[in-house]
Amino acid sequence: MDDYAIGVLTNIGLFSFLALSAYLLLIAGEMSFGQQAFFGVGAYSGGVLTAIYGLPLPLAALAAMLLGALAAFLVGLPTLRLRGLYFAMATLAAAEMARILFELYRFQREIDGELVGPDGTQGFRGIRWIFERGIEPEGYLALVWGLLLIALVFFVLVERSRLGATLRAIGQDPELARSCGISVERFKLGVAAAAGALAALGGVLFAHHNTYIEPRNFDIMLGVHSLAYALIGGLGTAVGPLLGVVLDIGALEGSRVFQGYRMIAFGGLVAVLLIFRPRGILDEKAVHWLKARFS
Amino acid sequence: MLVDLIQNTLDGLTIGAAYALLALGFTLIFGVLRRINLSYGPAIMLGCYAATWFHVQFQAGLLALAAITLAATVLAGAYVERLCFAPHRDRSAIAAMVASFAIWMQLEELATLVLPNHLYAFPALYEGGPLGFGPFTLRADALVMLAVTAVACIALQRLLYRSRFGLAVRAVIDQPVAARLVGINLPWVFVRVFALASAIGAMAGYLIVASAEQVTPMLGMWSTLKGMLAMMLGGLGSLPGAIVGGLALGLIEAHSQWFFGPQVRDLTAYFLLFLLLALRPSGLWTTTRSVS
Repeated sequence: MDDYAIGVLTNIGLFSFLALSAYLLLIAGEMSFGQQAFFGVGAYSGGVLTAIYGLPLPLAALAAMLLGALAAFLVGLPTLRLRGLYFAMATLAAAEMARILFELYRFQREIDGELVGPDGTQGFRGIRWIFERGIEPEGYLALVWGLLLIALVFFVLVERSRLGATLRAIGQDPELARSCGISVERFKLGVAAAAGALAALGGVLFAHHNTYIEPRNFDIMLGVHSLAYALIGGLGTAVGPLLGVVLDIGALEGSRVFQGYRMIAFGGLVAVLLIFRPRGILDEKAVHWLKARFS
Repeated sequence: MLVDLIQNTLDGLTIGAAYALLALGFTLIFGVLRRINLSYGPAIMLGCYAATWFHVQFQAGLLALAAITLAATVLAGAYVERLCFAPHRDRSAIAAMVASFAIWMQLEELATLVLPNHLYAFPALYEGGPLGFGPFTLRADALVMLAVTAVACIALQRLLYRSRFGLAVRAVIDQPVAARLVGINLPWVFVRVFALASAIGAMAGYLIVASAEQVTPMLGMWSTLKGMLAMMLGGLGSLPGAIVGGLALGLIEAHSQWFFGPQVRDLTAYFLLFLLLALRPSGLWTTTRSVS
């Protein structure tokens, strides 16, 4: 594989975490415009922990996930009782606040005679843990996809369990779920925290893949993209969001067919697709059909 | 100090007038369709880019540029309506919104393919310097902005409260089911409201780029975000709320910029929105039944 292909595949893996994070909230019936904030929290905190404090990546990733979950919990606490668009707007406001805070965040230390750390709008250079350890791009690709596979297995297990049924029940009809004795608010807070942790893990991996991050990486565009990925791929299965990312980053950017016209092609494709499949390619019906067919 | 405060208030009201216009268009679409149109700003941007293209190619005059902005924005709006909202009329609001985001990407790339530079000059409304009123200054285009907003509000008020079409629009906003039952042709209302909202947005966009004297590819996202923010501050789907929200947003931004600088200015606006949503989700200006 050439380096370009490895780069594209790694990116597909990275952004799949964010798409999964949006997907998790969507099936619980909430549309978040702000998952990019937790992706950013993961990227910044993971980067600071490895580049400045010299922590190993696994430990930094765990800490970043905890932080992402905590941030999502704190945002969710006052907002999750809001419905639909109000929640979407509140998460958008929170995410834009986070992006501006990244712009104001300066925390530079001299390491090996070089200034390292977040420098406001100038971004955060020198997140080189992967390169200092001599990990090849192939190795990192395997790491990203290995983690993604674990996340997917986790999703499949959850969807088969009582927990998954509860999740879909809340997404379909929160009032009915409440009357069945489900504590909807507490459950949604848990879901939001899990989605935050997932996005943060993607962020840590993104920061260490790019070695350089800047506040602009985590703007509203990224958030709406992640929503679009989940919705194009389909809300029927956790493989759906992955399919959405593959379609955008893999097929359109990776193939370089539509160079210069990528957004026109992708945008048109998505809009037309949604007319025929408003809940994505792999929606609940399609997944049901596939399951009946192949089991 | 007092002079500065008053000057900031004037500046805030000026930009707030532009926000109010943006929010009016956004709110009309939201109120009638109950859908968020993320492509609202990018359609305005495409309109302004079309005008800029004519300016670059043919040195078209101010009025011609305004007409081109209007025509191109309404055309782009019609495209958005056909592709993102007409097919999803009785279905998922999320799908319609994500589709409008997809078209956002299209419109933005189209605009930057036609005019690839990061910045283009746009002819100013008035070439002279700012006008002085005692210790205060006010730019001439700011006066135009305020005047156009006031006229647009009055015209819209008359249209909505004095015409049969306006009656239909208000009926659809307040009671969509009952409106359909009494025989209002909903698609007919939707299409016209979309065109009206695009026209208002085009006006706002034209005034904004003419007073900034430049267009950049940020205009699309900027217009959508500011329109949405002002609408949310005023209360979802309320037309007087859109005006109040727009002016409030302008004032908040002008004052917090003067006290704390541009980054904190944006932070304050988002923080207030967040706080408002958490504490009082129906908005500052609530009318009966305007929020479902």
